[in-house]
Amino acid sequence: MFRLLRMDLYRMIRSKSVYVCMGILLLMIMASLGLVWLVGTPQGQEVAMRIGLFTAADLADETDTMAGVDTLIMLRQSSMDGGVYNLIFGIWVMLFVCMDYQSGFIKNVMAVHQNRWNYVAAKIATAGIVSLLYLPAQYLVVLMMNRLLGDMAPCSPLRDVLFYLSWAWLLTVAFAALVILVCVWTRSVAAGALTAVLLGSGMVQGPMYALLSMVKMGDWMKYTIYHALDQGPNRFTAPSDLYVYAVGAGFLALYMAAAGILLKKQDI
Amino acid sequence: MNTGKENEFAVETRGLSKIYGGKAAVRDLNLRVGEGQIYGFIGRNGAGKSTTLKMISGLASPTRGEVRLFGKPISDPAVRRRLGVLVEAAGLYPNMTARQNVVMKARCMGLADEKSVDRVLELTGLTDTGKKQAKHFSMGMKQRLGVALALLGNPDLLILDEPINGLDPEGIKELRQLVLGLQEEGKTILLSSHILGELSKIATNYGIIKDGQLMEQITRGELEEKCQDYFQVEVADVRRALPLIQESFPGIQAEVSDTRIIRIYGTMEGADLNRKLAENQVPVYASGFHHMDLEEYFLERMGEEV
Repeated sequence: MFRLLRMDLYRMIRSKSVYVCMGILLLMIMASLGLVWLVGTPQGQEVAMRIGLFTAADLADETDTMAGVDTLIMLRQSSMDGGVYNLIFGIWVMLFVCMDYQSGFIKNVMAVHQNRWNYVAAKIATAGIVSLLYLPAQYLVVLMMNRLLGDMAPCSPLRDVLFYLSWAWLLTVAFAALVILVCVWTRSVAAGALTAVLLGSGMVQGPMYALLSMVKMGDWMKYTIYHALDQGPNRFTAPSDLYVYAVGAGFLALYMAAAGILLKKQDI
Repeated sequence: MNTGKENEFAVETRGLSKIYGGKAAVRDLNLRVGEGQIYGFIGRNGAGKSTTLKMISGLASPTRGEVRLFGKPISDPAVRRRLGVLVEAAGLYPNMTARQNVVMKARCMGLADEKSVDRVLELTGLTDTGKKQAKHFSMGMKQRLGVALALLGNPDLLILDEPINGLDPEGIKELRQLVLGLQEEGKTILLSSHILGELSKIATNYGIIKDGQLMEQITRGELEEKCQDYFQVEVADVRRALPLIQESFPGIQAEVSDTRIIRIYGTMEGADLNRKLAENQVPVYASGFHHMDLEEYFLERMGEEV
């Protein structure tokens, strides 16, 4: 597995897509926080009115936009909770995995490695490493933007940041495992992209939640990757807050096993 | 080209079958490739060559039967390390250079030494490609890079599926020399090609596959014996000419290969035959001696029922 991981990391470092996706995520955070500054701070509102972006009437209700907001909430609202992160990250995972099939390089890999679990494990590990780089990078940009824009919100305690980033990371890796499963199963860029868009952005989970709520089962959606990432706790207050780890680990194991079994049964 | 190791099999398949949706792509294939051989695997498009090579490479699972490499099952990791594969198109990352593609495969194999990367690039003449990405390579360069990937790790068994596809004459010559050089080092090469003339220049053994079944395995010596010289005569009326030839030249063997062509095997004078036919008012359009080559032999076998 480590040989394949070394191979994947070599390719990952040299692929443009990993930097492009990171750039998109960071730019979206910058744009989102810039907008928050324009709407939620007196200096920003003054600038917004001067350049004609808003009128005084538009901004009259925006007096307590920043109430209760800290840097962690800024990160969640600008990238994580709405599913933007999983959408972009999922697309990167899809590109990374599907390229093996599109280029035919998978034949070179599988002719050497009989144990196909190694392939799945290496791909998930690579996705985990990328997410481990993306998530703190995003938070650092939030801190930097917050500082640049005049400390709009207080910094979250480091303990809370580490707690949040750790379970969010696990859920994003589980989502990557789902994308890998779809790519291994279909070998199709279109199917992989569709999975990343529909499931990453919550376009499937939203209607599902509405349907399940009609039969009073909506609460079960809390245990999906999308809803856990959207509604998971900011800080650890009770052992029940740890359910997010269980959701992440459960789906990760499930999708990894399914991808491994599928790949084992497939001809290359 | 007998290496003296031919009692051991580098590749042995036993009752190998692959069935897709009820249709057999490969049926009960018992292929044997001795160590040190250059084995030419021949068959029409869709005959089951690539499926067989994929099963031997471990890329596809047999529906029935087994594959043994160097006496061990294909699942043995030690055996896999002795195998180099180029099946169908060369699998290359288009945005990477030749060297980066080879380094990728080296990492996949756990080769830390970059000398092996340099060696295969040199062997395949790709050392000077610099920063040119694989997507900008010519077909021949891509094929050479595919061969370079297969050669990585100094494998004892090379499986090359249509390796000369897209190569120019110079590239074909270089690949031929490379394959012959590898055989001299004691390596076994199993290769398929549609260019039978080229294959016949290097192969020591042949296997002919038709409709998923192995029709024949034959050594180069046996092929040469079978590909005997013959006298070919093109006549206006085969039905009159054939009995006349058989009566006039009892020691020979004659067969009709076309509606107007008769092939005659055995010692005889061509001029005598032509005279005999002319005397009996059988018009002769053309005649001459021929040597059957691999292509003709293959086409003849393909014309037979399995």
